[in-house]
Amino acid sequence: MNWTAILLTLKLAALTSMILLVVGMPIAYWLTYSRRRWKFLVESVVALPLVLPPTVLGFYVLVAIGPKSPLGQWYQTVVGHPLVFTFEGLVLASVLYSLPFAVQPFTAAFGAVDPKLVEASWTLGISKLATFFRVTLPLSIAGVVTGGVLSFAHTLGEFGVVLMVGGNIQGVTRTVSIDIYDEVQALNYVGAAQTALVLLVFSFLILSVVYAVNRNLWTVWPMK
Amino acid sequence: MADEMTAAFEKAYDSGSSIRVDLRVPLGRPHVLVLFGPSGSGKTTVLRCLAGLELPTHGRIGFAGETWFDAETGVQTPPQARAIGYLFQDYALFPHLAVAGNIAYALKGTSAGERARRVGEMLQLLHLEGLENRRPAQLSGGQQQRVALARVLVRRPRLLLLDEPLSALDAPTREQVRGELRGLLRSQGIPIVCVTHDWVEALALADEVAVMGGGRVLQVGPPDEVFSRPVDADVAAIVGVETVVAGRVVERMDDLAALEVGGVRLWAVEPSKRGEEFYLCIRAEDVTLEIGTRPSSSARNHLAGRVVEIRPAGAVSRLVVECGFALTALVTRQAERDLALAPGTPVTATVKASAVHLIPR
Repeated sequence: MNWTAILLTLKLAALTSMILLVVGMPIAYWLTYSRRRWKFLVESVVALPLVLPPTVLGFYVLVAIGPKSPLGQWYQTVVGHPLVFTFEGLVLASVLYSLPFAVQPFTAAFGAVDPKLVEASWTLGISKLATFFRVTLPLSIAGVVTGGVLSFAHTLGEFGVVLMVGGNIQGVTRTVSIDIYDEVQALNYVGAAQTALVLLVFSFLILSVVYAVNRNLWTVWPMK
Repeated sequence: MADEMTAAFEKAYDSGSSIRVDLRVPLGRPHVLVLFGPSGSGKTTVLRCLAGLELPTHGRIGFAGETWFDAETGVQTPPQARAIGYLFQDYALFPHLAVAGNIAYALKGTSAGERARRVGEMLQLLHLEGLENRRPAQLSGGQQQRVALARVLVRRPRLLLLDEPLSALDAPTREQVRGELRGLLRSQGIPIVCVTHDWVEALALADEVAVMGGGRVLQVGPPDEVFSRPVDADVAAIVGVETVVAGRVVERMDDLAALEVGGVRLWAVEPSKRGEEFYLCIRAEDVTLEIGTRPSSSARNHLAGRVVEIRPAGAVSRLVVECGFALTALVTRQAERDLALAPGTPVTATVKASAVHLIPR
């Protein structure tokens, strides 16, 4: 069993979820309340990772952060090493890949908050930002937790994007799913089975906890 | 004018319809302007524009020396900066906060002691003591309304906007709250703009009524004037009640009260002893007419007068009888011919005491 890969994967998933909480909420807020005509374009872009093969997404990210791209060059100048085939590059790719798994539950939850409550807060003299933290967020916390957990779980299991962007560097970018693949390639079925079991049990536990704690979550299962 | 709110604006929609108003509300003293009209007449939109929750297309909204909205200069004061209170139709209480949390919601930046003191004040004023830890879902409709009022009053707003304040209550509660609300609003000394489609509510609360229909203000005036002397058929159709006059109780007998109106006495059923000053509302179909005047008998509510106006309306005619005040009666065209009714004809109008609807002023 490859504990290095497991810990690396947990770290990647946790970091991705946290970044998505910070980045995803403003996007979801905008999607909920904006009346721009081109809002559907942003919605489509956010949903793209749901339908694109991970290799396609991975390919574009690879090109975008490569040493010849403006982003890759800028990163190298500032940080001192290339972005591609690093843990940071992997985090960036994971954030993009899991974006809809966070933003869609967030948007659904924000949209379910009665707009009158938000307006009531505004007329009581509370700023838009403070209203978000005092009314919208507390009333959509279930959806926000769901988005966080789903993006965490989704990152745990990603394979194609990691392979394209991260390469396969032990302790840096070799995640559980790639480690399992490697073990199978090397005909080490016992090692693969152990790691796979850890991932299976862990994923199951997370989802069980979420569904047990809150029965009213945005859910992949239709409500009774 | 520094001491009034002026709102002259238009809100146009893509569909081609629009809402246009020109309203003034005196500030610095209690004054209730009621926007009265059927649903779809645009009255709630007017209220939302005053609150800053929606923006007009053209025009200007000024409040004392401030400009809240000006289409020409692009001034748009956000709702947060208007320092007003807005009471939503279904109260919009925060479901995740208890009663005390809802009331204290706007009081951030004040010390905990000050906050507790002012919340306590409001709990007392609105008879909510003992409920401070309840969630909104655990309250009755009347209690929810009082919490919503407390939440806006605790900020001491400069203007209060009420959207159908009683419509979410069941009928018996509404009856009771209507009286309380009026007294409470008076005592706070805050100018108020209130939206309603219920004429009883309008009469009970208003100092001034603006009748709205089809996105326009059709008539503005004191409530009794607007309800009993609509300027045109549209307003008459909207207000629906034909006779509204102010009167005061001069005698009481059991559950009856005699009220003096324009020099004549009218008996009405008034068992609850709700005060001395009332609006008397009489539906035209509750008035019967006889030809000629007869000396006042012991029978109740025989009013001698003359026909001053006849307005045909389909199969019936609407007659205005001057009998100390202008009383509107409804007769069939057949009866109009049989009785040879014409302007100037002396008649006696009879109204049952139970048909005189009283609304406290």
